[in-house]
Amino acid sequence: MKLTDEMKNVLKVGSDSSVVTYITTSSCDGSCNVHLQPYTDVYKDEFIFAPDLFAQKTKININENRLAVLTIAHPSEGKTWAFRGPCNLIQWGHPPKFNFHGVTAGDVLEKWGDWGSLESFDSVDDDIKPKAIGQRGVFVLKVEEVYSYKADESGSKIL
Amino acid sequence: MAILSPRMKGWLERFGCHIGTATKSGFPTTIVVEQAAVEGDSVVSFDLTDAQVNHIKDNMQENPYVALAPHAIASIRAAYQFKGAATLSGNTLKVDVKEIYCTKPGPEAALRLDTLPQEHVIKFEESRWRDVGPPK
Repeated sequence: MKLTDEMKNVLKVGSDSSVVTYITTSSCDGSCNVHLQPYTDVYKDEFIFAPDLFAQKTKININENRLAVLTIAHPSEGKTWAFRGPCNLIQWGHPPKFNFHGVTAGDVLEKWGDWGSLESFDSVDDDIKPKAIGQRGVFVLKVEEVYSYKADESGSKIL
Repeated sequence: MAILSPRMKGWLERFGCHIGTATKSGFPTTIVVEQAAVEGDSVVSFDLTDAQVNHIKDNMQENPYVALAPHAIASIRAAYQFKGAATLSGNTLKVDVKEIYCTKPGPEAALRLDTLPQEHVIKFEESRWRDVGPPK
């Protein structure tokens, strides 16, 4: 599923209109976790990437249940979007040919494995700026559905 | 039972939450409610629209344990996550918070706060934030 230009502009690394997001995952028996993610990028119009910066519970959930929902937290006016689809964590140590829905670990880690080379981690507010950086890998969300979380139309499909 | 600090209550009430729910087999759905009310030390109450009720009611029946994360600017200024048992009655969703975590990216992510004495939680908050809630 191709994201719209507006969505891509908001989620692209270094965008002027960049946003803080949440990634919701679940264990395979329904235990949810909502993970704060201030850094995102878009790949091939349909994947959302985000760095793993000590996202322990998200990592555990993704290991057993490869699904996630990414929602826009701030600023959200006009961007009440929820992106849902298969999600995986591509980590240092994966063989370069490791493939997730057509995305290979080699391609992902070469460009996004050192997120700090793409954008400064200082680009976010001090309140959520990590005290120390230890990137373990890259979350890859393949968007298969976009729904609205606007109060009066929650769940209605946008894409 | 977890005890919400005055700071947590202030940010939750003003900006509401992203509410993560899932089926019993782990299919996730997130709704966003932009206001909340805190009752006592640990219950967060949300008024849902009909669309929001329809969006999560099946999940609630299967699996009432949910995760909450503050919405809007509170996602930055109040980096907490709350988990607990939810009850949906009509259009009111009440969550009895059982777990509280810090969600600041980096080594403090997933730091569990509800197991600390309340005075330690207050000290933790005071060491990181000057405010005791959102601006009036």
